[in-house]
Amino acid sequence: MKVSYFETGRYVPPPDMPREWPVPSGNYDAAVGTEALRGMVERVKFVESLGFDWISLSEHHYSPRILTPSPVVAATWLAARTERIRIAMLGPIVPVSNPIRIAEEMAMLDTLAPGRIVIGLLRGTTNEYLSYDLNPTEARERTDEGMDLILKAWTEPQPFGWQGRHFQYRTVSIWPRLQDPPPPTYALGTSAEAGEFAARHHLGLGVSYGTFEIMARATNYYRERCAEYGWQPEPDDIIYRANMILGETDEEAEATLQRRDRQGAFPVRPSLRDALLDADIKRNVAGERRAQPVGGVLPISFCGGPDRIVEQIRQCREKVGAGVLDLSLQDPGTGDTDAMLRALELFGRKVLPRIREI
Amino acid sequence: MTVQQAAFNEGFVDADGFRIRYMEAGQGTPVIHLHGAGGMRLTQAHTLLSRQFRVIVFEMPGFGVSPVNDRTQSVRELGATMASAVLALGIERYDVIATSFGARVALWMALQRPERILALVLEAPAAIRPAGHQPPSGTPEQIARQLYAHPERAPMAPVDPDVQAKQRALVGRLRGPDRDTDLEARLRDLATPTLVLFGTLERVIPPDMGRHYKTLLPNCQLVFVYDAGHEISTDRPEAFADVTADFLERHEAFVINRKDTRISP
Repeated sequence: MKVSYFETGRYVPPPDMPREWPVPSGNYDAAVGTEALRGMVERVKFVESLGFDWISLSEHHYSPRILTPSPVVAATWLAARTERIRIAMLGPIVPVSNPIRIAEEMAMLDTLAPGRIVIGLLRGTTNEYLSYDLNPTEARERTDEGMDLILKAWTEPQPFGWQGRHFQYRTVSIWPRLQDPPPPTYALGTSAEAGEFAARHHLGLGVSYGTFEIMARATNYYRERCAEYGWQPEPDDIIYRANMILGETDEEAEATLQRRDRQGAFPVRPSLRDALLDADIKRNVAGERRAQPVGGVLPISFCGGPDRIVEQIRQCREKVGAGVLDLSLQDPGTGDTDAMLRALELFGRKVLPRIREI
Repeated sequence: MTVQQAAFNEGFVDADGFRIRYMEAGQGTPVIHLHGAGGMRLTQAHTLLSRQFRVIVFEMPGFGVSPVNDRTQSVRELGATMASAVLALGIERYDVIATSFGARVALWMALQRPERILALVLEAPAAIRPAGHQPPSGTPEQIARQLYAHPERAPMAPVDPDVQAKQRALVGRLRGPDRDTDLEARLRDLATPTLVLFGTLERVIPPDMGRHYKTLLPNCQLVFVYDAGHEISTDRPEAFADVTADFLERHEAFVINRKDTRISP
């Protein structure tokens, strides 16, 4: 089992900070923001020293909760200041981006930090469609087409045009190109479309936050599709991003869970949330329609002392099949960072050595 | 979206000892279409193009309703026959769209009389094939799945088995080697502006073949049509007609975007 630490640029907001998304940027405190972003290096070096395999970054906008609207900027900064750890961009939000730009930036980063980049391509959370004015009903199609275009830009040696449904280019020929072999690349999501795309293009699949049972539906579907295309994914081909509460003992972890500040990830006002859910109609898990909980509280997938956590990870591997766990040991943007660092240290000492063989 | 089918008029022209059938609609620069191994079939893309061009869709001798053609010995000869058919219609300069099997015919036409052909559009061309390439085979459903990304958009009309057998024999005789070294050597000097189109879901000819045209032809554009299979003009007729019309009108300058993206004045 490989382990990844989800670095979110930990901006610790004052208690009276408005929570509704988008959070007014007038509340931004430059000193806190600077510490949050520059502190990434220290945290990443710390997990590197603990033996973590990857760190991951994500793209979110208009909120202090995750302070990396451009994961590639964060990745570049971190790659230059660390030695070994892989940096996973999970990832650029494809439907709101210029796919060629994504292809170019990933190739540039892969050239600057060869062998250290992991790429995840995703559709993004529903609220993010408001960030760059994307019609939610087009998000699925734009993601599928954008991912296809990114792969073509990476692999086609001759200048080419793209006559798409949502994207049109008449001349594409990116420099630099990806390294050979190219970095591990994943389609992210639980949908049938993500599983199908990943299977067809021999990519990995990244799923997040749902229960083992629900995630297993997505990863089983992915494996079925891979078999259909004549190949079998390895455990490393499946990433599971999840929240974990780790204590010295089960009781300590349970107590932390009870104290958890159950705030939604990106809470939007109810009327807007309902309208967004009505517009975002194509969400599914392995083809079964399932709305994303817009602004909802993300579940805790792992909770306990080291022994129980090891057992939960074993079950996760059995059910979900994931060979890479991408972990938050504390909800992003909440609580104190020192407590999280202590949990990471405990994980590195008491859990990590025991899950390598899982 | 469905496109109202334009009224294509049927005509026949005598050329090179053959009586050659064609369908025609529209006005403007003549655009000749040479079909693939499955024979002539009108699509929505023809209708769309006929709004801007004089579209003439030929049925090459030995295909469709025409008698068995055991006279033509090579695609090169077939190219000469088709060039004389166009000339017999009184058309001296024209564009050529060629599909799959038709691409090699069109390239020979262009090589023989480059001054007559304004531009070439090659739809999923089979003029350069990977070694050991086999044409689609199986049940009609299996063949449809190889030809189309969206078989539901494919024509429902059953194909006459006699016509099919006749066409298959002719194509088998004329398809030639997977790599025609003589043709490819000549392509290096063919200045005709050429657009090569491959669908991103192409299952008959690997779309990677597109780069060979790009490398060989001095004035070639390669465009991938997203979500289309081998039959691009059926899978995505609007996309096919849009890129084709733009290229025929502007040739390599079609890389310059001229779409107005202002939201409000």
